[in-house]
Amino acid sequence: MIRDSKFFIENPYGRWVRDNLFSSSSSAFLTFFAGFMVIYSYRGIVGFILNPERMWTSVTYNMKLYMILAYPDEAMIRVWLSVGLALILGGLSIGFYNSGKTISLGGIFQKLFTISAVIAILIALAPTNTNVIQNDGSIEVVEIIPQDVRMLILGPSLVLTLAFFFLRNVKIKNLFNTAKVNLTYFGLIIASLYFIKIPTISLDSSGERIIPDPFLPIASTTYIPWTILYVGMLLFFFIGSLLKNRDIKIMARLIPISWFLCPLFIFSWIFKKPLVELNTVFSADIPSILVFGIIGFLIIRFSDNESVGVYRTPINIGFLILSVVVFLLPLVFIFKATMVLLLLLLVVSPAIATTKEGKRQLFIVWVVSLFVLTFLIRGASSDTMLVTPTGSIFGGFSLTWLLAIFGTYASFPLGLALALGRTSTLPVIRIICTGIIEIVRSVPYITWLFFASVMLTVFLPAGVEFNLIIRVLILTAFFSGAYFAEYIRGGLQSIPKGQYEAANAIGMNPFQRIFLVIVPQALRTIIPTLVGSVITSFKDSSLVAIIGLFDILRIGTSVIPAQSQPVVFIGRNLEQLVFLSFFFWVFTFVFSRRSMKFEKRLGLGER
Amino acid sequence: MSIIKTVDVKKWFGDFQALKGISMEVAEGEVLVICGPSGSGKSTFIRCINRLEQHQEGEIVVDGIELTNDLKNIEAIRSEVGMVFQSFNLFPHLTVMQNITLAPIWVRKKSRSESEEKAMELLERVGIPEQAQKFPGQLSGGQQQRVAIARALAMEPKIMLFDEPTSALDPEMIKEVLDAMKELAESGMTMIVVTHEMGFAKEVADRVMLFDEGLMVEENTPNEFFDNPKNDRTKLFLSQIL
Repeated sequence: MIRDSKFFIENPYGRWVRDNLFSSSSSAFLTFFAGFMVIYSYRGIVGFILNPERMWTSVTYNMKLYMILAYPDEAMIRVWLSVGLALILGGLSIGFYNSGKTISLGGIFQKLFTISAVIAILIALAPTNTNVIQNDGSIEVVEIIPQDVRMLILGPSLVLTLAFFFLRNVKIKNLFNTAKVNLTYFGLIIASLYFIKIPTISLDSSGERIIPDPFLPIASTTYIPWTILYVGMLLFFFIGSLLKNRDIKIMARLIPISWFLCPLFIFSWIFKKPLVELNTVFSADIPSILVFGIIGFLIIRFSDNESVGVYRTPINIGFLILSVVVFLLPLVFIFKATMVLLLLLLVVSPAIATTKEGKRQLFIVWVVSLFVLTFLIRGASSDTMLVTPTGSIFGGFSLTWLLAIFGTYASFPLGLALALGRTSTLPVIRIICTGIIEIVRSVPYITWLFFASVMLTVFLPAGVEFNLIIRVLILTAFFSGAYFAEYIRGGLQSIPKGQYEAANAIGMNPFQRIFLVIVPQALRTIIPTLVGSVITSFKDSSLVAIIGLFDILRIGTSVIPAQSQPVVFIGRNLEQLVFLSFFFWVFTFVFSRRSMKFEKRLGLGER
Repeated sequence: MSIIKTVDVKKWFGDFQALKGISMEVAEGEVLVICGPSGSGKSTFIRCINRLEQHQEGEIVVDGIELTNDLKNIEAIRSEVGMVFQSFNLFPHLTVMQNITLAPIWVRKKSRSESEEKAMELLERVGIPEQAQKFPGQLSGGQQQRVAIARALAMEPKIMLFDEPTSALDPEMIKEVLDAMKELAESGMTMIVVTHEMGFAKEVADRVMLFDEGLMVEENTPNEFFDNPKNDRTKLFLSQIL
């Protein structure tokens, strides 16, 4: 038998092949069958992509349309600032949280070996010819990878594979910081924007298309901003490491908060360019900050006062009624929003403002959050100064992001509240929450979207009108909130009874028990489910194409295939769909990878 | 002066009557051991004392406060009564240090630094100061139970309840927990201990009780209880357990 030959017993690689691929006749069959399927579909995909019928310039030419739709050209800098803010924050976090993980030179070579080996295998297996269907229905065989091109790539990659195979065993003591290595890879990608050239549609000065398409670097119009952003990211990476070395503890709290606020700031100010009138700032914003700052100061000051403590329940109920009244009165929106924040302060201040130090810190947090909230709401509620032909500054990928991020932001607290309400012992709250969850979940998302686009305006009181994107956001929040609620309820039920008893036994009140003991554990157990559902809502956001919003999917399936000026892309559907699948895959893949790491880090506290 | 007083406490789970009228008193500084076969109501009884279970009839007075449905009374009593569970019930998402300081910071409203200092003292007292920054899942059962004792003590309770604290432990870990409990008893803490550790009862207890089928069948000093039991049920129980 071949299986028992010396090679398969003594050689470690041969041994692995024997034990894992051909351990029995049925597994050998499965190996061959799966291998055949993988190679067959790979060759099919490559044939499809390289087919001369495909016009990939329809994707690359429309990249700006995909990302931002009709965002005005003169405000492009705002788009770059938005991306830049995220990248800079990314650089800062990598620098600060960079756990000092290192990789040896051998480890780097091992990775490079894997990469070059994969490239060599892929190019070796790629098909030489593909079928092109002619107009008369006959099939013509076309050569897509000439032998000399294949050799030109295969030769060097084989040489590199062999070189790295031997180099990976080199024993060099030097260790490299993983974060720096990864940033270097990222830099190489940026550099490739300058060097790798692809055929690009370009127009001459009179607006005529130059034929044939000249070879220009990838992203020929955007490599300068990308380079600037990369340099900024590097700079903030080093600032982050510096802060870490100086052991500045506040950053550990500031960075997550910044990540939380970053999209809000981008969408309400940077991307939007709001039209802020100074007189509304003076007549609404500043009075609001002053009034609520003083009320907050009084609440914090007297929260542990004995004589006030007697009236705590009437005061709380009074504030609750007051906030409902404020909500119904025709006051500026900022008052209504801040009132909610004030209720939160009222709940937490007896727990936190117990020492002089605690009071001081809580007051600082209160004032800062007042400013931040007022600032964000001022931006969000003002009209934009940008003029776009579609009437909305959001479109394409920026709309997808908007829906995904705000869907998650709004639905998570809503879901938590619904879950807690559903498990509450108070029957009224329980019935209301159960009702909301069950009604929302029992109707398909698309139906809700139609509800948002057509019917919601009928239900809203006269005079209240939201634009379609906001209506969709509200419904998305409820829809994914209801699902979140059920996941969180599952997490809550998985907490053993002993945890409740232990929390009770040390004298915690119900509020402390829920938020310090039960909820943190419940959320931890359901992180994989939550991540899955965030990814789902990211992908589901493309359904808004159905009700007439121009998200990335709608652009790909109905805008680009209808373009005839300046280049004819009519009927170019397939390219767009392939690109969009790849595009969504990249984001969801990166996201689920990150969440796996996050899970591992949190898993430390598991039993 | 009795710190705990119960009068004719009765408790039903559905149709099943778990407690059939328990009347007893515990003096300040006293160590009381309750033993009995499983299902005899001993755990239910001590869980009634800090109202993890509600009694339906009778009266329980702890430290001068009667246990009623008033939430404020319950929270006040719970912060005076520490409890150690059979299954430890540490909070797995918090470190040992956070487990111990959680209640002092949030319930007793003490500052973090003060609570942490106190927590280190307690960890030294139960013999595991080096484990402060670990998570409960990284400790052995005996160490976890000692953390649970430290957590209960961090509230500076007047009374400590132990609900079969060594039943879930490997034999070689029982001793380290019992030693911590002995040290606590010697410091003058009022303790009610539900346990099958008869050695502990003989050595440390001021009084021993036997529960059977929801009733207290015997109450005696340890010497009398083990050498000269009055009740036939006690004789039977001792003959099976010793």
